[in-house]
Amino acid sequence: MFNRRLLVPYLRPSAVLLAVILILAVIDGSHGRFLSSSIVFSVLQMFATVGPIALGVGMTMIIREFDLSVAGMVGMAGCIAVLTGGDNPWLGLAAAVGTGLCTGLLQGFIIARLKLPSIGVTLGGLLVFLGVSYALTGSRSIQYDDLEVAGLLGQHIFGFFSIPSLIILVIFAVVALIFGMTKLGRDLLAVGGDRRAALSAGIRVDTLLIGTFAFSGALAAMCGALLGYSLASAAPTGLSNVLVPATTAAILGGVSLSGGTGRPLGIALGTLTLSVLQSGLNALGLSSYAHEIFVGLVLLAIAILDGTAFNARLDMLRLALRRS
Amino acid sequence: MSTPSTVDRPGFRAPSALRLASRGTLMITVLRVVFLAALAIIALSSPGFLSAASLLSLVTTASFVGCVAVGMTLLTMSGNIMSFSLGATVSATTLVFTAALLSWGIVPAILLSLMFGALVSLAQGLIIGWLGANPLVVSIAFFGLLIGIAPWCTDGNSLFIPPGSGQELLRGKLFGLPIEFLLMVGVAVIGQLLLTFTVFGRNLMMVGSSRRAAEAAGIRVWRTTASAYLWAGLFAAVPGMLLAARYSKGNMDYGATFDYDAITAVIIGGTAIEGGRGSIVRTIIGVVIMEVIRVILLLNGFRQEWQYLISGITILAVILLQTTIARK
Repeated sequence: MFNRRLLVPYLRPSAVLLAVILILAVIDGSHGRFLSSSIVFSVLQMFATVGPIALGVGMTMIIREFDLSVAGMVGMAGCIAVLTGGDNPWLGLAAAVGTGLCTGLLQGFIIARLKLPSIGVTLGGLLVFLGVSYALTGSRSIQYDDLEVAGLLGQHIFGFFSIPSLIILVIFAVVALIFGMTKLGRDLLAVGGDRRAALSAGIRVDTLLIGTFAFSGALAAMCGALLGYSLASAAPTGLSNVLVPATTAAILGGVSLSGGTGRPLGIALGTLTLSVLQSGLNALGLSSYAHEIFVGLVLLAIAILDGTAFNARLDMLRLALRRS
Repeated sequence: MSTPSTVDRPGFRAPSALRLASRGTLMITVLRVVFLAALAIIALSSPGFLSAASLLSLVTTASFVGCVAVGMTLLTMSGNIMSFSLGATVSATTLVFTAALLSWGIVPAILLSLMFGALVSLAQGLIIGWLGANPLVVSIAFFGLLIGIAPWCTDGNSLFIPPGSGQELLRGKLFGLPIEFLLMVGVAVIGQLLLTFTVFGRNLMMVGSSRRAAEAAGIRVWRTTASAYLWAGLFAAVPGMLLAARYSKGNMDYGATFDYDAITAVIIGGTAIEGGRGSIVRTIIGVVIMEVIRVILLLNGFRQEWQYLISGITILAVILLQTTIARK
């Protein structure tokens, strides 16, 4: 029953996560600042912020596309939710997620049907979303009056969880189940690995492309709406760095920008790594720069190890050493 | 908006000459002319557009992004899509320039800044070209390293340049024109000369349009890639120095939006995002279009933020029109 090959995609993400925990624990020594119960909540809170975007962007990376527009969508969805959810937060959430879904569908449609590069199209989307959120808010931060919602979203549930982190954990679980149990996961990996082969194998590539961008848009929108409610305010985020942590989390989770690799659970592990790192360094009182540097180094190492010419160059060096 | 003539080069595909004949190109040309004419009419009818102050501000701010966009064009054309770390390179260069200026004076500061930009970018070019690493991931990694290491060195503070330290050399005017503008023109001319007249430029376009074909033709792809990154870093160091000199301050926020602004200009100018086709002249036109839109909005009392919406729509329109019409 136990299939070892199923575990292979998770080996590296788990190893990186364990390494991060170990390093932080060693730095902490016996102070008990890192391995405490309060840190679990903060890790999960960060997980809830980065997770949805990482999952959406990660899925577009699995099919060998890239959704830059999430960076604009998070801000715009927050503004939409706060503006329309004044009487009923559900209405605001629905409006935001609906907008994310529709714009995602539209972008996916343009990319799939017109065969346009996704970076160009989603860059256009990013700037449009950013512009709309400035226009909606008049470039100001807007307040959400229903503070009860913010309180509710920030509440501890079962000690460690909160509503946003429970939502995203459930989403990850559902997506991972669908990805692993149905044909969908295999098809998505095939689209990312070799699109022409996928097409001739009868996979409906266009539908999957459009669906993935809609998924990514909806998740980013949900994240923005929840963020807006939790902070009880929303503001146009500028070209804030939503994209870099999300992409980093996906890459740490075993997704590659050259497509065809990665799993939703891997993305969850990658997001967890990033969250543990940030919360851990915070708890240890290290500056936020340490986080950036560490993430940069890990990403660089992954990029180098995954380099298409890495093995060939290694052999070249070995030969040269032997000759001399 | 003409691409340099490349027809007479042996072994080089000549898209411009062949495509000129097609109806699609004619339509694109008509659309371009209409767009530029409309933009010009709106600009000229905006009160105060032609005033010296607004033109001066237009030219100066366009110059900073312009230098980055020239470098970005080389990266896009070489098939590496875009970089997320050129803006951070600009910001870090402001710190390097400031620190070097305070310690050793203006000439070593300029040299060190250029070296810093070139080396940071060359390292990425080597990792991408020689090891075959993914360009976007490498640039994100370097973004993290730059914004992590640079403020760590300065404890997160800005560095200030006291007046009279020699930074006056890099601001002010020469022949009645802002020095920022002159340097940007210099960078653009160097970039276009590199593309049009050197073996590197020819190889770059070939690598960008088909990496495999370039390898088969005996081009050492990794060298071309590394050189493209080297130049891009060198060009990004220029606005770094200029910004530090202009505001007498080294600060990590200066280049924050430059990556997006630069790739926007590259795409609006009409350089293909998948690589192989494009020119510096087009990118500069893209930069000018964006700046003109910004100034028009400001003069007509709109907030500058509307620029994002218009840039986004323009990008989408350019990509849609260019690809769909060209394919017909």
